[in-house]
Amino acid sequence: MKIDRRTILKTIGTAVAMPAIGRSAQAQATDTIVIGGSVPLSGRAAETGLNVNNGYLAAQKFINEELNGIEVDGKRYKIDIRLFDDASDPARASTLIQRHLDDGVQFFLGSFGSNIVLPTAAIVERAGKPMMQTGGASDQIYTQGYKNIFCMFPRASRQLYNTIEYFASLKPAPKSIMFAMANDAFSKTLAEGAIAFGKQKGLPINDIITLPENITDASSLVNQIRGKKPDVLLATTHDQNSLLIARQLISSNVDVPLLYLSLGPQLKSFRDALGNFANGLFFQQFWDERSPYKDAIFGSAQGFASYYGKHFKRDMAYHTASGAACIVAYVHAMKAANSLDPAKVREKLAALDVESLYGRIKFTPEGDGDPLHLGSTVGQVLKGNAEVVFPEASRTAAPTYPAPTWAQKRG
Amino acid sequence: MKLFVSGRPAWVSIGLTLAGTALFALLPLWLSPYGVRVGQLFVLAAGLAVAWTVLGGFSGYWSFGNAAFVGTGAFTAALLQLALPGWPAGSAFALALVVAMLFNGLLALAIAWPILRLRGIYFAIAMLGVSQVCFELVSNIDALRGALGVNLIDIVPKGVRPERFYYWALLLATLIVVLVAIMVRHSKLGYGLLAIREDEDTARMLGVPTTRYKMIAFVISAMLTAMMGVIYAHNLGYITANSVYRGDFNLNVIVYSLLGGMGTIIGPIVGAGIMTYVTQVLLGDLLDTHMFITGLLIAVLVLAAPNGLYGIYDNHRLRMRRRKQEAQR
Repeated sequence: MKIDRRTILKTIGTAVAMPAIGRSAQAQATDTIVIGGSVPLSGRAAETGLNVNNGYLAAQKFINEELNGIEVDGKRYKIDIRLFDDASDPARASTLIQRHLDDGVQFFLGSFGSNIVLPTAAIVERAGKPMMQTGGASDQIYTQGYKNIFCMFPRASRQLYNTIEYFASLKPAPKSIMFAMANDAFSKTLAEGAIAFGKQKGLPINDIITLPENITDASSLVNQIRGKKPDVLLATTHDQNSLLIARQLISSNVDVPLLYLSLGPQLKSFRDALGNFANGLFFQQFWDERSPYKDAIFGSAQGFASYYGKHFKRDMAYHTASGAACIVAYVHAMKAANSLDPAKVREKLAALDVESLYGRIKFTPEGDGDPLHLGSTVGQVLKGNAEVVFPEASRTAAPTYPAPTWAQKRG
Repeated sequence: MKLFVSGRPAWVSIGLTLAGTALFALLPLWLSPYGVRVGQLFVLAAGLAVAWTVLGGFSGYWSFGNAAFVGTGAFTAALLQLALPGWPAGSAFALALVVAMLFNGLLALAIAWPILRLRGIYFAIAMLGVSQVCFELVSNIDALRGALGVNLIDIVPKGVRPERFYYWALLLATLIVVLVAIMVRHSKLGYGLLAIREDEDTARMLGVPTTRYKMIAFVISAMLTAMMGVIYAHNLGYITANSVYRGDFNLNVIVYSLLGGMGTIIGPIVGAGIMTYVTQVLLGDLLDTHMFITGLLIAVLVLAAPNGLYGIYDNHRLRMRRRKQEAQR
């Protein structure tokens, strides 16, 4: 066949015009429930975006292949998740979400990152379609008066409510609690929310210390602890900073009966670095596959984890589980509504109160996760393993409080 | 400053720009909401690219850090609005826009003296540094709220669809950017900038006030970029530092100019149009491979047409003229 310039131009022209022609088909095809949305598979938020994406896809695969879809109003439907890569760009995400809306998509999944979720949520909210998401925890999403946006996490300022509940349940009750927060937005929001809730609960929060975002020397914090002898130290710090604080406390032999480092002890590398000294440390645990959660679709948290492990190469992360739980929430709401009308499904999502692989799914009236049911749990390193010790419903082991001293651990 | 001294009358360019804008302004009446949002991205990209061209294209001082002005413009407006609770939306927006442009103009003026003493790649890298420093400052200083994020006021009039409103707002801003660029290009300043691009030392020897001209172009470019940034931020409604100090803003404006034709005004607009269509529409459905294909496409286009599409057009015109001359002989 002779390929001349005209043929090349025709081919390019056809290729360029194809997207416009192809898009005229309705997305909500028969016997299929289309759920649209965007995820960041490239750009700044790609690492977590891939985890969220895999959670969505794992749930779709299981429902379609193992359960042959779901039954709504006497008819079986397969789930068809259609996601775009928003490249961590809020403007691109908004455009792609609009494309789904124009194509007739009725249900949405959220991206990752509040700066992307909020602009896309505004579009979906205006269209009156529900959006389940697991990537936007900024308080500002939940003060807009949105009715259709639901999140698997509580807003950032409420994520440590379980931790505060645990402190309130301690016996003997702590006489003095110290907070140390890193000077970054997430750490500060976490700590400030916890402090406000703790004071409301009547906890003796006597000292609040702000640390630099990246700590190179924790001596001044160690000295304050040595002087004030708090029963509890809660540090909202990232893993490297947490490691530095722990190491300097160990080398100075300064003990705290309950040392809580929000990020760090979850990681095996952190526990390995501290060896026996890691035992007894408390931390913020978002999800543990060993938690005794029952799930109507996967059977249990462990059921989900083993299915995921068999079919996906990427390591499991809590965002993967929360992503899958978004689909589980949709399935529950659609079945309860016995309809695929987005307004009815939205009503059922708002009223949802079911146990799932990710914990009990229940939302506040503003749409974020219930802080006690969907907030992070309290973890503790016990015998070198990261265990969930609070609340009872999520527990994988009983807590040790007061924790052994550094001297005991040396011995 | 003497305006309109070029051989080709500026009014022709201005007339064409106004006619083109009028045509584009009508598009939302036919396009789907998705089409309008793609249009928004195109108009934003075109506006940012032409604003970059005022310095980078005309004088050859390629800035790799124009996101600094997008972000600083957006945050200046957002923080000013926070400080003015209860103001009517229209007035708060107008004031924020003006203050953001002036602030960015002053910021550009403040950094122009040390930065514009650097040439070539050194200037480009220094601007990348400026962009990163602005991002870090806005992210880490609590009062600037870059990490927590800021909501911007809703300025969409009742009864107007938001995507259409922001399309028109961005189109108007881009029109202003293009008109300013045409005026600069056809003024003594424009010729001075072109002379700087060709040979800065010779230009200075011939009496072109190179430092002053570069500073003026830098300030104009910063103010126009800030204007685009303010409207973009309002369109998003909520911004964090990550939303507006974006590395792709720094690079894309250069890619658009390379693709369309560096140093021209129409080139970056054409480049922005092609790239927006390719990335948002043609490859929008591809989940994993769209970045790879986009990169490959850019590489092929830049290799095949090193002077951009405008360069191909120019060469074609030259060839035709030569053929005509030969035929006449």
